[in-house]
Amino acid sequence: MKPADRLVVWCRRLTVMTRKELVQLLRDIPLMAFLIYSFTLSVYVTGNGIQTQLRNAGLLVYDADRSLSSRELVSRFHLPYFRFDGELIHADEGFRRLDRGRSMMVLDIPARFHEALVSGEPTAVQLLVDTTNAPQGLSAAGYAARIVGQFGQESILARNGLTASSSAPVPMIVSDHRVWFNQDQNETWFESISHLLRMITIFAVLLPAAALVREKERGTVEQLLVSPLTPVQIMLPKVVAMTLMILGATAVALFGVMQPIFGVPIRGSLALLFSLTALFIVATAGIGVFASTVTKNQAQVGMMTLLVVAPILLLSGIFTPMETMPAWVQYLMALSPLRYFIEIATGILLKGVGFDMLWSQALAMGVVGASLFGFGLWRFRRQFQ
Amino acid sequence: MNLRRVAAVASKEWREVTRDRMFLLLAFVMPAIWMFVFGYGLVLDVEHISFVVVDRDHSALSRDYLYRFYQSRYFDFQEALEGEGDADVWLQSGRARAVIIVPEKFQERLLSGQPAEVQTLIDGTFPLRADITKSYVIAINNAFNHELLVDFLARTRGLSRSEAQRRTSPLGIEVRYLYNEEVRSTWSTVPALIMFSLMVGSPLLTALGVVREKETGSIYNIYSATVTRLEFLVGKLIPYVMISAVNVAVLWLMAVLLFAVPFKGSLWLFIASSVLFVLTSTGIGLVVSLLVSTQQAALIITVVVSTVPTILFSGLIVPVSSLSRASQFQAHLFPGMYYTNITRGTFLQNVGLAVLWTDILALAIYAVVLGTIGYHLFTKRPRT
Repeated sequence: MKPADRLVVWCRRLTVMTRKELVQLLRDIPLMAFLIYSFTLSVYVTGNGIQTQLRNAGLLVYDADRSLSSRELVSRFHLPYFRFDGELIHADEGFRRLDRGRSMMVLDIPARFHEALVSGEPTAVQLLVDTTNAPQGLSAAGYAARIVGQFGQESILARNGLTASSSAPVPMIVSDHRVWFNQDQNETWFESISHLLRMITIFAVLLPAAALVREKERGTVEQLLVSPLTPVQIMLPKVVAMTLMILGATAVALFGVMQPIFGVPIRGSLALLFSLTALFIVATAGIGVFASTVTKNQAQVGMMTLLVVAPILLLSGIFTPMETMPAWVQYLMALSPLRYFIEIATGILLKGVGFDMLWSQALAMGVVGASLFGFGLWRFRRQFQ
Repeated sequence: MNLRRVAAVASKEWREVTRDRMFLLLAFVMPAIWMFVFGYGLVLDVEHISFVVVDRDHSALSRDYLYRFYQSRYFDFQEALEGEGDADVWLQSGRARAVIIVPEKFQERLLSGQPAEVQTLIDGTFPLRADITKSYVIAINNAFNHELLVDFLARTRGLSRSEAQRRTSPLGIEVRYLYNEEVRSTWSTVPALIMFSLMVGSPLLTALGVVREKETGSIYNIYSATVTRLEFLVGKLIPYVMISAVNVAVLWLMAVLLFAVPFKGSLWLFIASSVLFVLTSTGIGLVVSLLVSTQQAALIITVVVSTVPTILFSGLIVPVSSLSRASQFQAHLFPGMYYTNITRGTFLQNVGLAVLWTDILALAIYAVVLGTIGYHLFTKRPRT
């Protein structure tokens, strides 16, 4: 046979097997229904629902002063950050109310607060913060400190006969913040993107892993092995079929939910986005392929993949920023394709950058993916020899 | 219900589990590994935000101002740029998350008593990070402003520095942190991680329980046997509930001994609600297993159903109170949130039944509802 003919046969086999895998997938009605749910409704609910910034922190106030200043200060704690939960009659009531967990903090304003501010005596308000959820507690305390600091600053200026207006200028730095790529800090954009990536990851790892183990468990892989197919021709169609399936679902999520409903911009090249998404899916599938070669049945492969997928989902920087992770986690996560893909996806969609900015991330993802995949393929071949 | 038949089903299931060494190992090792990795790894202090500066003033004061950013552990200085033009590239490539631009005449304006505008460009792709970056910048600016004001008053009013300081004594804020006095993020994540490990791991244990028998055909032995529906389901569940119960104990010990999280509440309350929670989490897997016809579908659906709401809607990191209305509703539909309240409450707050009874009741209702659904989904006379 001429090499050209061999290539034709090789491709034809691949196509036939890919079609078989697609048919097998499409026949599983509950799985397909769930795939559609995961990339539509689930993206919608999550994109809409998650707010990582401080919202609605329940605030109780014990105001011993009941003056102009104290009321002014309290009025500065407002929605969307703080929710006023009422005034306390006794100072010690605060602990009991916090125990119940409905409110998060108690602001305690001392008597003679107003007098002290006017005369310039040092004074301080007290804040009790529930830190059972430490980051949230710290964030609320930080906002409160900002509000109190600003209020204090203004009263200093007023006391010294200065105002922030231009008639009597004061030397101070005026902060001018420009938030780029997402001016309104619209959280639905990031949350829907990160949820989409979460879903792609889960499906990309689990679908091929379960499919490969199934053949092994049932013994149908023996039938395939006695056919003229090589191990690569057995494995590759599964990955190709699932990549196509997930790419289709991604398109549905992007054009069916994220763009029309949330207004997520697509500032960069769509072709680039989808080709790098395909690379990401294949790279992530490498984890599943590898897991399928070290396990014997679906129960094992499920546990094995979940063991790895949970850290990938939580520590790759789609849930909390990479900047929060300790150094050893950042090194460990260099092995996670998702860690690079989040930069690529937000880069193309929100920043509108091209391959010239993303090549290093794409290269790293490709290298990690190729090693995972190559290793999985090597193990897959070996177990049949 | 004939207890001997339940025991027979349970012992058959138990043998199947113990025969599969790798499954057995993973069932016990997985929650512990997660606890270890996330307990040490899921730290939530945003530090080392990379930034570049454009200093158009090149004065002593602008250097003094920027020095505060260089010194801060929250910021990681990358490079000083010549012009604003390069700033785009730094933000777009993700190598810097913020750009600080000090204008011309920064020193001149401030020393002559005029305000000066410092521009900060922030990468807004991740709103949480953008928000935190902004608040760090404001904190540094405020501290700097206070010193400028002291200097200004001392110079213009002819006051001594200490007098100027006294006149500008800032309004203090004394913050007292309750329940987690040193605000260690491990103290609040570790109790929630007990919930996470059980909620994500346990459903998978049972997920393949029934569907595997359907796929291999061994379910026909059950169909033709005298064992009733209820006996079969209870027997199936027992080994996995036992595994998860052991895991609760291991996770509790890890939390107390390894992470030194104080356990202030009632141990009995914790144990009782943990048993309820284990029933619901394993029950979720069983119900999925009854609904689908392939193991592949059971695996994926269980993983998505148990992982996604647990990460997002159970109060692990994002508090339920800051979710939108619709998501809060969704959070209440999953058992994870209730058990998070219970673990945090018993570990850190020492609150008792008086506060936690609603959460415990919710878990109990959940267990009953799952049991009823499972009972009705499983039929010994399938239509096909």
